[in-house]
Amino acid sequence: MSTVATDRTPLKSRAAKATDVSTTIADSHCAHCGMRLGSTPVVKDDRGFCCNSCATAFGALSDSGLDEEFYSLQVLPEKPANTASDASKNLQLKELDSPQFIEEHTRPDNAGRSVDLFVDGMHCAACVWLIERLPFEMEGIAVARVDLPRARLSLTFDPAQVKLSKVAEWLAKFGYTVRPMRGEGGRPTDAERKLLLRMGVAWALAGNVMLVTFALYSGLQAEGSGLATAARWISLTLSIPAVFYGGAPFFRRAWASMRSAIKAHDFRRLHMDMPIALGILVGFLHSMWATLSGNGEVWFDSITVLIAALLTARWLQLRSRRLAGEASDRLLALVPSMVRRVRADGQIEVVRVDDIDAGDLVEVPAGEVVPVDGVIAEGESRLNNAVITGESRPEAVVSGGRVVAGATNLSSPLRVRVEAAGEATRVGKLLAWVRNAEEHKAPVVLLADRIGGYFVLGVLALAALTAALWISIDPTVAAQHVVALLVITCPCALGMATPLAMSVAAGRAARHGLFIKSDEATQQLTTIDTVILDKTGTLTEGQMTLVEWTGSTDALELLAALESQSNHPIAEALVRSVGPTENIGVVGIEAVAGAGIRGFVDGREVVVGRPDWVAVVTGVSTDSVQPDIERVALLGYTPVVAAVDRQIVGVAAIGDRLRDDAAQLVRALELSGKEVHILSGDHPEAVAVVAERLGLVGERARGGVSPEEKRAAIEHLQEEGSSVLMVGDGVNDAVALQAADVGVAVGGGSTASLVAADVFMTRPGVEPVSELLHGSEAVMRTIRVTLGVSLLYNLIGASAAMAGLVTPLVAAVAMPVSSLLVVAMAILQPSFRDQQPQSLKHQ
Amino acid sequence: MNILYALVPLALLLAGLGVLAFRWAVRDGQFDDVETPAIRMLLDDETDQSSTP
Repeated sequence: MSTVATDRTPLKSRAAKATDVSTTIADSHCAHCGMRLGSTPVVKDDRGFCCNSCATAFGALSDSGLDEEFYSLQVLPEKPANTASDASKNLQLKELDSPQFIEEHTRPDNAGRSVDLFVDGMHCAACVWLIERLPFEMEGIAVARVDLPRARLSLTFDPAQVKLSKVAEWLAKFGYTVRPMRGEGGRPTDAERKLLLRMGVAWALAGNVMLVTFALYSGLQAEGSGLATAARWISLTLSIPAVFYGGAPFFRRAWASMRSAIKAHDFRRLHMDMPIALGILVGFLHSMWATLSGNGEVWFDSITVLIAALLTARWLQLRSRRLAGEASDRLLALVPSMVRRVRADGQIEVVRVDDIDAGDLVEVPAGEVVPVDGVIAEGESRLNNAVITGESRPEAVVSGGRVVAGATNLSSPLRVRVEAAGEATRVGKLLAWVRNAEEHKAPVVLLADRIGGYFVLGVLALAALTAALWISIDPTVAAQHVVALLVITCPCALGMATPLAMSVAAGRAARHGLFIKSDEATQQLTTIDTVILDKTGTLTEGQMTLVEWTGSTDALELLAALESQSNHPIAEALVRSVGPTENIGVVGIEAVAGAGIRGFVDGREVVVGRPDWVAVVTGVSTDSVQPDIERVALLGYTPVVAAVDRQIVGVAAIGDRLRDDAAQLVRALELSGKEVHILSGDHPEAVAVVAERLGLVGERARGGVSPEEKRAAIEHLQEEGSSVLMVGDGVNDAVALQAADVGVAVGGGSTASLVAADVFMTRPGVEPVSELLHGSEAVMRTIRVTLGVSLLYNLIGASAAMAGLVTPLVAAVAMPVSSLLVVAMAILQPSFRDQQPQSLKHQ
Repeated sequence: MNILYALVPLALLLAGLGVLAFRWAVRDGQFDDVETPAIRMLLDDETDQSSTP
């Protein structure tokens, strides 16, 4: 018994062995970037590459001896690049040239027009190099810039000289798929740039004010010389832009909240910006008065640092929101935007989906995604509904059957009578719900914001108290003690604690393939008590593969050679799993629908198919392998028997393989006291088999659940007081991911699930879910500890200062120590660091 | 200590220049994508977009 692996290593050795390399590797993957080679592979040193740049990169790496490390670090995509048929590509490309598209999605530029496009399939430096060569390769393109992390290409082109579809075709030659980008496209908005600028300026001002104030604290003040006056005036001058430019957003929002609170006579409407604005203003006015009148204390440093720290927190928040928004835009490309309408005279015209009305007839060639909801008017085919229902097995449809937008037509052309198009389709409604829910999600109110404002007001009150206290005791030292109090209670440690710990953890998690979209999600993750898992694509790998082969390996090659002549899903699974076969002649093929296929491979008769059919065709009993067949069926896979020259050679188990780490995850979750459920759109029997293997019984595993029912089930659990974590991958999970307290999309999931999820994982498998839970707990613990430490520090500091035990100089030294402590704690936090990637360990 | 009357404004001037440089960098979009340029550095000079007309 041998389980077939689909990794690259055997592929390479097989390619190296073969004499005719180009035919062997035509269907395999690039030795450098791992993408499908396609029809024009580049062969060098017996290795196949998808393009010249990959071949060059491979050569350069091995020449310099870096190849071993490079390929061990390289993360290959779990699924090969999209292999949509030429037909569907052409349809997409047509849209790129339509005047409406040019009008709506390109901007005038001094060198023509500029446009942003999504480019799928870019993963390395070679891709950047190749794509940025566009201006040298094609007339009429002035600039091509790649944004690798966001899979985006910005082009400046002259529409008169070059068509965008030509550009897309050129890129398609190298395996990159271009998709038009709609909406804002996740460009860093002006708001984000402005905030970044504001933040930078605020920090520059705060830093300089601090330096000047340090001179005052360390004795300059006491001398009362001209220098001291100059230092105060400099601080004042620097603070004016910090307060009125840097702090403007706080004042604006505080003012707005005040007005709405007064109008509604409801003081709960007062925003968190209110105390912040008040604190900044009071502190600034007081310090200004002190500077002008020449007596009294200044605390410009505290005010400016507070503004800068709060702006930093806002900027981090805005940035993570934009990254989430970016995924939304990719979602819009999910359903085709161009459709083939069949006119009354039988001609087919390509129109935009917006121009389609109910009752129109549209054609859907094989390989394309169905663009509308409707009823099949003509033709029969198999549809893959995985996007909508999560069911992995293709579904046969005939004339009169219903189809929904988002399904992929697998085998033959269909004509569909339109019932709903665009936003009115089922998938359109689901996506709209996801998008709206995203917009309505409460913005994260950072803990720092909440505490920051009250903190400043509290400090001011304490300062007044200290002043009053010491004036009555000993007026000569009153000023000194007030200064010490204000210095030692500098809010920078407090203000930075939460955002700093969060962003350090998020960055570290991202390096481990866990992308957490909001700080709120990190916080929510620690309250989870119920975990709901999707089956197809989450617990399982989401596509049919050869799970197990009981029999000789040589026979498997014959099988794959025969099956490569068929486009049946089971045949495709077999070929995909075994890999490309050597150049073996196959003749006399005879396929029987629903039963199997027979033919002569290399002169030997091979029969593959349903056990009973194989027995009838070959006249040989399958009793010898009956235990294997039963075992395979029991595991929930489809048993396929193979016979060569009228001898049974083995049993293949074809199915959607359960991920290796699924059982581990379920066990870990249950051990930590969480309730685990499976909700799947797949057949209840298929779900039951998986659930049984994972040890989940009864009501905890439900199959045949529609997306809407998933959402209802989650809401029901939430009403019962549970905090729900949903793990899923498909469009059918998107609504559930959104409804759950925290939604996690697993690697290779659909874009819709990425949009709806609060967290998405680029690492294959589901095991990272437990790392995510542990990590977020560690982050929250770190934050609580840091906040506690800085509050404690401030409390002790304030008490000591009020009691007159601290001189301003000691306070000035103690202040940065507290900030450094908070920074160190954030950086040294234990979250997301248990499993360092191997490559980092030996550095 | 009177030298400070000259040095502090000088320091502030330098800081001001830094802020101006930062302002240019933000407006120019230098912070929009901080990953790809690191890769672009590895590429040959001839593909440098700034040298194209």
